[in-house]
Amino acid sequence: MGYLDNSIVTVDAILTNKGRQLLAQGNFNITQFALADDEIDYTLYNPTHPSGSSYYGEAIENMPLLEAFPQETQMMKYKLVTLPRGTARLPILDLGYTNIIIKQGASLAITPQTLNYLGGNTYESSGYTATISDVRLFNTFEGVGINTPQAQALNQTTTLGTSVSKTVVGTTINLRATTINTLFGTNTQLTATLTVEGRDSGARLTIPVTVTKIS
Amino acid sequence: MASFNRLDPSDFVISSDAISATLWSTQTPQLSTFFTSSTQEVGSSGDYYLSVYQTGSTLSNAAVQFDIAYGNALGSGSLVYNSIINGLSPTATIFGQYQDLVLGDENTNFTFGAITSSEFYAISFERARYKNALLLGSLTLQIKGPIAASGSVTLTDNSGYISTVTFTEAGRVFQLVSGSAGTANTSRQASGYTTDSGSYGWLLPDIGTILLNPKALSAPTSSGGIGFVYSGSATGSSVPNISPMATLYQAISGSANFQINSQETITSDYIFIRARSSEFNYSENPSFISGSTGEVLYNSFINSPQTYITTIGLYNDTNELLAVAKLSRPLPKNFTSEALIRIKLDF
Repeated sequence: MGYLDNSIVTVDAILTNKGRQLLAQGNFNITQFALADDEIDYTLYNPTHPSGSSYYGEAIENMPLLEAFPQETQMMKYKLVTLPRGTARLPILDLGYTNIIIKQGASLAITPQTLNYLGGNTYESSGYTATISDVRLFNTFEGVGINTPQAQALNQTTTLGTSVSKTVVGTTINLRATTINTLFGTNTQLTATLTVEGRDSGARLTIPVTVTKIS
Repeated sequence: MASFNRLDPSDFVISSDAISATLWSTQTPQLSTFFTSSTQEVGSSGDYYLSVYQTGSTLSNAAVQFDIAYGNALGSGSLVYNSIINGLSPTATIFGQYQDLVLGDENTNFTFGAITSSEFYAISFERARYKNALLLGSLTLQIKGPIAASGSVTLTDNSGYISTVTFTEAGRVFQLVSGSAGTANTSRQASGYTTDSGSYGWLLPDIGTILLNPKALSAPTSSGGIGFVYSGSATGSSVPNISPMATLYQAISGSANFQINSQETITSDYIFIRARSSEFNYSENPSFISGSTGEVLYNSFINSPQTYITTIGLYNDTNELLAVAKLSRPLPKNFTSEALIRIKLDF
């Protein structure tokens, strides 16, 4: 990791780990793009700058940016979105939980809702992408409600290994906490994060997840 | 409302660019210090070739720059494998190896200029050094004669002087001529060859190899040679006191002037990203929002939002992030501006 030379405007493009995986499988096919403003703190924008509007973004426009990370979960966190001019409120996600505490072996269904979207509060037609940072915490982690081939292909992907993330797509995310005691070791709980993103709106929310041991 | 834009086929451009660079590990155009490894020289591989380093072979930054081999159809220049079978020795193996690789015919000898030869010296560059190919017109190889009166000869390739490229089983082949850096010395012969012994050898850029013509090097100074001869045992019946490879090594290291560049073709995908004036003017960045209800941070952002592009994500149809590009500084975006960004993906 290092800072990019900002004396000239250049673009540093790399493949993500997922991109390398798909390239090796012969399934590397870029079809769309999104823009993001990761690293930008808009509180640095100063619309009352005494020198005028040319200086409002002074604290942002010359900042050095970090190089790209190959981990796809660490990039494109905050997407830029296209909304009608005059939008006063941006879409935000409501999962019904600000954090999840679930007992070992218990089940939970999460149905995300997008607020301030398409004139009100609604469920996105393309569904939601949910990523659990450590898939070992759940015996079941699945998305239901979206039946496109692409979504089904993603949901059927088997994630192997230890302490790796898993991503599913659906309008509802079903969870069932692990029943394996050995995962806890001497601890009484396991923690991870759940990141949900609206596939249409780009709205994103990350909440902590805790699985508590019962025996 | 959308956060993804589809790419059109016209947004993709594929380009192949040739990149040249210095060949040596020293990152300098000229290699002027040469070292060998006594371990390699006396080992089993030493019968076939001699590895040349840019620094002492035991040092941590030592790297093989090229190997010198000698091929002889009759097996001269090295000890035979079995004393009851004359003519089969490492030099005969080397000769057959290059015959197969370059000529593709075990019954054909090498023709340097118009002179046929049943022997050659081979300089084979390390693959990591020359990358895809040797850069034409970049060669300057000075070889010192055995005595001061012999002087030295400086060689280059004739790629800049021919209208038709000749191909062998090993790709393109160019003649070695007197001269430097692609410029031939035509004072003796218009072709840059020796008077009677043909060209000085071949440059085979596609396999990173130089073949030297011993007859040309051994010619007298008046004919364009330097009187270079292999001084070791001429037969295969006794252990040579010095190998042909070591003889050439001394002639090259003695002149301390070896220049050649590498060439690499990099294929890049260029993807053009267009953000129109009405697009991407709001952000899901938490600092863009004030409070928990999604209100924009500043009232001025309602009608005149200002965003900053830092990252471009390239996705497939299932919204999987395949590649990312970072700008070197934030690019302002609002309803009165458009952005056109060219992303380069190297493979």
